Amino acid sequence: MRISKSRAARAITAAVAVALIATGCSSERDSDNKSDGEKDTFVFAGAGDPGSLDPSLASDGETFRVTRQAFEALIEHESGGSEMVGGLAEKWSSNDEGTVWTFDLRKNVKFHDGEAFNAAAVCANYDHWFNWTGTYQSSAVSYYWQTIMGGFAKNEDKETPEANYKSCTAKDENTAVIEVKEPSANLPGGFSLNALAIHSPKAIEEYKKQDASAKGDAITYPKYSQEAGTVAGTGPYKITKWNKGNKEVSLERFDGYWGEKAKIKNLVFRTISDEQTRRQALQAGDIDGYDLVAPADVKTLEDQGYGVPTRGVFNLFYVGMSQEANPALKKKEVRQAIAHSIDRENLVKTQLPEGGKVADQFMPDTIEGYSKDVKQYAYDTGEAKKLLKKAGQEKLKVDFCYPTEVTRPYMPAPQDLFELMKDDLEKSGITVTPKAMKWAPDYLDATEAGSCDLHMLGWTGDFNDGFNFIGTWFAGYDKQWGFKDKKVFDAVNAGSKLGKHDERIAAYKKANEVVMEYLPGVPVSSSPPAIAFGKNVNPPNVSPLTQEVFSEASFK
Amino acid sequence: MSVATKTEKIQRLAELTATKETSTGASLWREAFRRLRRSKMAIIGAAVIALFVLVAIVGPYLTPYAPTAQTWRGEVFPNRGEFVGPRGENWFGLDHLGRDLFSRMLVGARQTLLVGVVATLIGLIIGFLIGGLSGAAATLGGDTGRRIDSVIMRFIDMMLAMPSLLLAVSIAAVMGQSLTTVMIAVGVVQIPVFARLLRGSMLAQGGADYVLAAKSLGVRKRRIVVSQIIPNSLSPVIVQATLSLATAIIEAAALSYLGLGNPDPAIPEWGVMLAQAQRFFDNAPMMAVYPAVGIIITALGFTLLGEAMREALDPKLRG
Repeated sequence: MRISKSRAARAITAAVAVALIATGCSSERDSDNKSDGEKDTFVFAGAGDPGSLDPSLASDGETFRVTRQAFEALIEHESGGSEMVGGLAEKWSSNDEGTVWTFDLRKNVKFHDGEAFNAAAVCANYDHWFNWTGTYQSSAVSYYWQTIMGGFAKNEDKETPEANYKSCTAKDENTAVIEVKEPSANLPGGFSLNALAIHSPKAIEEYKKQDASAKGDAITYPKYSQEAGTVAGTGPYKITKWNKGNKEVSLERFDGYWGEKAKIKNLVFRTISDEQTRRQALQAGDIDGYDLVAPADVKTLEDQGYGVPTRGVFNLFYVGMSQEANPALKKKEVRQAIAHSIDRENLVKTQLPEGGKVADQFMPDTIEGYSKDVKQYAYDTGEAKKLLKKAGQEKLKVDFCYPTEVTRPYMPAPQDLFELMKDDLEKSGITVTPKAMKWAPDYLDATEAGSCDLHMLGWTGDFNDGFNFIGTWFAGYDKQWGFKDKKVFDAVNAGSKLGKHDERIAAYKKANEVVMEYLPGVPVSSSPPAIAFGKNVNPPNVSPLTQEVFSEASFK
Repeated sequence: MSVATKTEKIQRLAELTATKETSTGASLWREAFRRLRRSKMAIIGAAVIALFVLVAIVGPYLTPYAPTAQTWRGEVFPNRGEFVGPRGENWFGLDHLGRDLFSRMLVGARQTLLVGVVATLIGLIIGFLIGGLSGAAATLGGDTGRRIDSVIMRFIDMMLAMPSLLLAVSIAAVMGQSLTTVMIAVGVVQIPVFARLLRGSMLAQGGADYVLAAKSLGVRKRRIVVSQIIPNSLSPVIVQATLSLATAIIEAAALSYLGLGNPDPAIPEWGVMLAQAQRFFDNAPMMAVYPAVGIIITALGFTLLGEAMREALDPKLRG
């Protein structure tokens, strides 16, 4: 009996082994498509699924990571930096007020579907966005268009901002002129957003036939944006497949690319939501790189020979206060007490990746407009207690919301950061009720609606302009903060209408000082999010804006 | 002699038989206890449980430091992978926020035990009621009873068909994040197990001679169920309760591990501690080892005792 049993076991093991080897071989053949034994597929893992293959419908980094490889905007950022350089436009200029923008377009550029790139194509895009109707006008779908250009040709909702976009004209084959009604701090930065990247006019015609629909908060994106085939840009890679079951988007080198062609033939973006699993996948050789490395893993990976290049600091992590959720927060002393309570030094020293800095205003010091003269709120529990007593809020109770199961570029381990700050607040005599929520949609909805007394969030800059930071939060009434203060709003908006660079920067400095005097929340830190690559990879230049271009990557 | 006095007499007679049954029942328990004492497995299990319960009750008063105080927060650098291991001051070292791990383990034991016991009680009580009702209906309720039993059991089957952890996670997700939720979720998962077990056991007893005798004596059905069938059907339920405690502790830890437990992550609970430690496994493996070993040993203790009790109570093995 025993012998026969072990024989059977051996037979089964052998069968399994054969099956494994067979499937292993076949899957390798599938994915690598190798002919001369050289690796030609680069797999990169992100933390979340992209939402759409059409960047104009997106506002999140995971989507842009994918679409950035296939679509290019009029202006791009220098590789590895935040300076603006020519993209599809070789040069750009504006009139003195900053209302008429002229773009000298690059010649001999082809879209993935064979169409030629020219001024008419640029205008087809801008007019398409401007004429969006229905669900496309929802701020969840067209967030960036609305941020940069305001509303639409015909606004359907009263809450939609007035359109700032006026027209786009093709002056000649290679000159496009975009006019806006009023100067804006978001220009020319906005022209560099991947959300406003240029699509093939043929694809645009196809887009127009399809609709997005919404049921409550759930948005159903148009079909063309959910499967490869229709979307076509000018980038070094073209999107060939989106396998939602496998959580993979596949791209292939576009041989007709105008610039330096991609070094690796196939590019795959895979979603692995857990940071441990991402790291293990890299160590196992399943992937060639991943984003949002846990700070603790940086040294381990470096010691093991992996590439962990450091990005520049371009983000801000803050504790938000919603004055409408808890009226006690309307008192300035209470807000100051909270700021004095939090030991930001310790938090940066022990939790954030190397290169992290304590933030003393709502703008990292790498942005023009950062002021050295803002009011400081040092860690001082005694001072916090004094201020609370002065405000008559010695028994202050606050709900503090934090997100679970998520890491963000500015916030590597939300729960740990929360626990540290909670402990700090309690030392000042504040009673903290923790409210744990799932990142999407619960946490984002709650913070947006201002239903948490305190919450933690952050922002990674889209382009190098101070308004992209302070303007995001304090340009007007926002439920997230729940306050109306004309002095703050005016100071923040002052810079946005100024065309002259120096005047604008001076206005931003002033705005930072006014904001920190008012103290709507506590800026905590700025830190570089870590990114890791395999041992055999020459990584692309890493970008402070987290806008890596993977056509630069190659295998050693 | 009036009819009333006649039934009274029969009743008394029935009570006599019932008392006799209980007395043999008691000897069954005594016998089981004797066998239990001789089983090494049972002794080890009981010792582990006793130690665990002792720690859970007394532990929080013996902690050298407050378990939630981040006293040494400046000494650990999770961002650089630098942690503090066991040392004179801190016997188990520090966690990732500079808290004393030994104190957290002691206090965590209480949370873990509390969740396990309450969850099992929830499952036991509700399962007992449902199973008892179903069993009684099936044995003595005639056709209607059998139909009731059948409806209840299909419902229980539905609950059993769902993977237990999945069911618990769904319940926890619907009810929101709290320790009570975990207790209820883990408890609900145990309900069908207890209900099925008690009903099955009652069905087996339902055909026994003493039940037939009581029935022919005209003892009221409710009485037969309460004082005769149920006491004789209890032993598998008690064994199951002991075994369930082990599962409940593991499942509660699993739910906490998945982030469905106490919304305040500062409160130590072994499942939460394990989840937190996992992220730092490469740099500070001991942080995960302590709660993991705690969970394993405790669950093992309950399992050993439960298994020993099952053997002791099995009438087929009675010597």
